[in-house]
Amino acid sequence: MRKLKVASDWLAGCAGCHMSFLDIDERIAKLVELVDLRATPITDLKEPDENGCDIGILEGAINNTANEEVAKRMRERCKILVALGDCAVFGGVVAMRNFGTIEDALKRAYVETESTDAEGKIPSDPEIARPTRVRAVKEVVKVDVAVPGCPPDADVIYYVLSELAQGRMPKLKDELLHWH
Amino acid sequence: MITLTIDGKEVHVPEGTTVLRAAQQAGIHIPTLCDHKHLVPYGGCRMCLVEVEGARTLQPSCTLPAANGMVVYTNTPAVQEARTFVLTLIFSERNHFCMYCPVSGGDCELQNAAYGQGMTEWPLQPNWQPYPVDGSHEFFVLDHNRCIMCRRCVRACAELVGNFTLGVQERGANSRIIADLDVPLGESTCISCGTCLQVCPTGAIIDRASAYQGRLKDVTRIKSTCVGCSVGCGIEMIVRDNRLLRIEGDWDAPVNQGVLCKIGRFDPLTNQGERIITPLVRRNGALKATTWEEALQTVASRLQAAKGRGSAGIAALASTRLPVEALYYFKQLFADKLDSGIVTSIEEGVTTALPGWVAHKLGKPFEGTLDTIHKADVVLAIGVDLVENHQVAGFFVKRILPRGCKLVVVDPYDNGMHALADFSLRPKKGTDYDLLVGLMQVIASLGRVRAHPIGTHDLTRHTPDNVSRITGVPAETIREVGRLLADAEHPVFIYGKGLTRASFPTALEALLDLARMAGALDDNRSAVIGTKGQANSMAAYLFDLDKAFDLKGHQVAYLALGDDHPSARLLEHVEHVPFLVVQASYASPLTDRADVVLPAAIWAEQAGHYVNLEGRLQETRQGLTPPREVRSNAAIFQALAETLGITLEDNWRDAMQQRIWISQPDVCR
Repeated sequence: MRKLKVASDWLAGCAGCHMSFLDIDERIAKLVELVDLRATPITDLKEPDENGCDIGILEGAINNTANEEVAKRMRERCKILVALGDCAVFGGVVAMRNFGTIEDALKRAYVETESTDAEGKIPSDPEIARPTRVRAVKEVVKVDVAVPGCPPDADVIYYVLSELAQGRMPKLKDELLHWH
Repeated sequence: MITLTIDGKEVHVPEGTTVLRAAQQAGIHIPTLCDHKHLVPYGGCRMCLVEVEGARTLQPSCTLPAANGMVVYTNTPAVQEARTFVLTLIFSERNHFCMYCPVSGGDCELQNAAYGQGMTEWPLQPNWQPYPVDGSHEFFVLDHNRCIMCRRCVRACAELVGNFTLGVQERGANSRIIADLDVPLGESTCISCGTCLQVCPTGAIIDRASAYQGRLKDVTRIKSTCVGCSVGCGIEMIVRDNRLLRIEGDWDAPVNQGVLCKIGRFDPLTNQGERIITPLVRRNGALKATTWEEALQTVASRLQAAKGRGSAGIAALASTRLPVEALYYFKQLFADKLDSGIVTSIEEGVTTALPGWVAHKLGKPFEGTLDTIHKADVVLAIGVDLVENHQVAGFFVKRILPRGCKLVVVDPYDNGMHALADFSLRPKKGTDYDLLVGLMQVIASLGRVRAHPIGTHDLTRHTPDNVSRITGVPAETIREVGRLLADAEHPVFIYGKGLTRASFPTALEALLDLARMAGALDDNRSAVIGTKGQANSMAAYLFDLDKAFDLKGHQVAYLALGDDHPSARLLEHVEHVPFLVVQASYASPLTDRADVVLPAAIWAEQAGHYVNLEGRLQETRQGLTPPREVRSNAAIFQALAETLGITLEDNWRDAMQQRIWISQPDVCR
């Protein structure tokens, strides 16, 4: 059987879901028997294969134009897209920013920060990504599997990946289903 | 009886039962959110929709009365789809973020409902409209972002507590729970009973003290009894790592059915003072930490020396917050074995001595149980402020007032109940007797006497006009209240310290005769309730610990305070006592003044029994382990007895039968 190609990336999140992924510990050896781990934030390859992957995993919410681009590329190149963790699924902690305006958030971050010693300046270089309203991944691209949790437990992640690797759609319920 | 079929199962229920309750009785689970078994069905959340054969649409089972031949399905695809849709709308309406909510992970009924439907996400995103958070209350926070408008809190505040602080403002998406006319909770008429907190299904109302300190699966729940007053409400202690996180009302408790007041729910978690954690003995004028052995030896030698010297010997006072076991040891040790001059309670029987005298005269208990209030159509409260003390009994009264129950309050003093009363009577001090006989006179003159009084009262002299002159209460009011009592089907009489404080029993006897004439007291039943004092005043009475005290002349005073706080009056009393022993949990001016201090467990650290105002024997359980050198009150008496070479008996159940009970649920209801 051909090994399924898996790619992952993180958007506006805390990397906690990827840490939780690493918490599957020695089971990762079993997993790589089933799948071919391609581009991830913790491997050398940084973008999903141009000729496509089977499974794409996104952690984090969509917070700016760069996130949008990454999400769209992942969607285009992957057959099944997994939203991993509360930020990707719901917007999560990041989405608290939606309760204020982007301008206020930028001012708070670059001008009013306690550690800003000189006059603060909001970056405006056209090369850098523009912040947007915070969105769940599904608000930008179609998501096939939602894996909530802050972060999802290693057991949940292992279950989801091993099911997908064996060609089944994971069904989260009971112990495996939690939103916190 | 009604017979219906739910999921193919035949169910028999009494008429008036809802489909939801019928299903629950049959062990069929229907998820709910706004429903609460102690609240009137409301039909607000639509989680409980079911399919009924022949009905055009899905029906809310919580408000649908079961009917004969009804065929109900609780688990069809249409029902499942509707449930998920209902949850989708609820989640998208406000801002529900489980990752930083303290009730997430087992305690949230909304989250559990979503898990039950296998929802991995919200199909609709919220619209990011921020809702206010009201953090003005001392004990809890109201976060409108997490509110699902189930109105359980509003209903509990009205239906269970009768306080009507919470309400709803606006319509549709702007609906919001408000206090009074939309003032911050902390500045509202809220009485901090916390019932709203206990019924909230989400994290919309969260407890300040225990938020983020342990989820349902991390804590231990221990059923016990509140020792805040003589009502004796059933509680659950929520404990984690030997810390009391929270207290909740026990929904299954016979006395309070889940409701608690501030004194029971929040006060035990506020700082009660500095704990005494080791025995202390006065040396060279200062209290020094010592061993139990030395402390007990010191006390024992003083007690030995003063033993049997009557009013020049030992005076022993116990708090009525101590459990039955401790009070019984106390009585045996000081009254039976050490022959002390004074052995009584700090309460001095101010609420029990007179009723006890009356019970002995009648030869049986004469008071009823609190549940008589639930069906009362007239409540006459005399000399008792149920807004301030015995609050849960007050809730029972307050919550039936909207149903048309009339409240008569008799108290010359300021009393929180005056404001709620239909008739607020303020007779001149010491004229209670005349007022009560005046009311009897009105009933008699209407020819509506249901049972004849036992005592002799001069009715002819107590016309409304005469009584008005004596008491200062308008004659018309006396006539109206008399008529009200004559017309009442279920009158209930509640009396307290204001009536029993007087040193002669006539007013209490007149109250009982009035109750007899109004049909509230006969050989089989009683709707007369005395509120008593602290948690174990009844037990203190049963052990003869209900006499007045004067410590003058006594050589040694032994104060078993437990976790009680001493009054200023008590401090004055002990001022000139040559040798003072204090058995206490907390440091106080009294322990400062003591010669020996014995560290005692607090209520949550010891197990024991309490007799509530109804005469109900109830248990308290140990939820916490006391500090290492701290012992339970009963254990301290035992250790002291051992040091003195005295053996104490454990037959407190028999010993409690020596006196006639004032109230006893099995004998008199």
